[in-house]
Amino acid sequence: MAWKKPDDPPGYPHSEPAATVPPRPTAAPAPAPVAAHEPPKRSDRATIGPSIYIKGDLSGEEDLVIEGRVEGKVDLKQNNVTIGKNGKVQADVFGRVVTVEGEVNGNVIAREQAILRQSGAIRGNISAPRVVLEDGSRFKGSIDMEPPREAGGSTTPAPIRQAEPPREAVRETPKAVPEITRPEVAGVKATA
Amino acid sequence: MSWFATRSAGVRKETSRPPTVVEPDVHRSLALAALFDEIRGRKMTVLDLGSAVGSNVDFFSQFGCKLYIEDLYAALATRVPSGEGDDLAGPEFFTEFLAVPDDTRFDVVLAWDRFNYLHRKELARFGEKLRRHTQPGALVFALISYHKQIPAQPHRFRIQDEENLVYERRTASERPSPRLAPSEVTGLLKGFRVDRSFLLRHGIQEYLLVRE
Repeated sequence: MAWKKPDDPPGYPHSEPAATVPPRPTAAPAPAPVAAHEPPKRSDRATIGPSIYIKGDLSGEEDLVIEGRVEGKVDLKQNNVTIGKNGKVQADVFGRVVTVEGEVNGNVIAREQAILRQSGAIRGNISAPRVVLEDGSRFKGSIDMEPPREAGGSTTPAPIRQAEPPREAVRETPKAVPEITRPEVAGVKATA
Repeated sequence: MSWFATRSAGVRKETSRPPTVVEPDVHRSLALAALFDEIRGRKMTVLDLGSAVGSNVDFFSQFGCKLYIEDLYAALATRVPSGEGDDLAGPEFFTEFLAVPDDTRFDVVLAWDRFNYLHRKELARFGEKLRRHTQPGALVFALISYHKQIPAQPHRFRIQDEENLVYERRTASERPSPRLAPSEVTGLLKGFRVDRSFLLRHGIQEYLLVRE
């Protein structure tokens, strides 16, 4: 009867009509194969733990969460960078989406978006097409908001103090970037 | 001393007070409307002397401008008096407060109600600093109170739309208002003249000053 259908949990294997998927006697229900093909997200994200202090520049090709102290440029233009509540960065931060929950004493340059959370503080300039400042956050500096561009636009943000950012579409050539060091594993000493 | 440390100390002091819930007021702003009429379609450099308000940043993002946020009151509140002279914020304070390259020129200055929190001499000193960083045609938006008393801390202003401004009062306690007369405003802010001025029903005079 029709009223019985909602009782079945969505995606519940037994509720699927048999005709939609040919039955495989030994195979597990749908979710299992999907999970096998997708790498777990956690592995794409490096974390600098609260007790880690890095003096030197950081670069790499994975998302980064900073909960420790960094004194040096953080350069992950293609990836997301989060400065966690305990994180303190004393230099410029480059990223795709840069989220600040801790403290940054330097410029923040985001290709897509810069987010300053309520607990966060930035003393420096922000350059991003989209900037979110949560109420209660502390900010001293300038915000350079370029109007949103069409897809495939410039990948290189303008230097903060430049009046007119470069408009030409520049595709970054992937270069050999040294593997980001995983401080919690290696105790990292990045190059100064 | 670090900027973060001083600012957080201020915040701690604030929160130690008994919480006061004051409903925000929305007021029509004729000067703000006039300001947006002037700047529409231009890429500008804006100096916001109020506190960082996310929705204002969102609002200005539509203009694609460069926005400087320098909270004047917060800087004054954490200033350590030198103990010399008149003990007011001197030119060196304003130089340090607005530490921008010499060639930086602002097209718009959002002063909000911050001039009410400056001594007349301080306003003259700050006006001199502003004059150096603006060029003819630059606009200053200011709200001067004619009440005898003003809140002990400046309002937080939220731009609701091009004609309406939300006044968020942050404290119930009050202090005397300088009640700057129109002639004083232009007398102290040398190099600026009143382009437009509106006396609003709630005892606030809105100014749109223009750099000569």
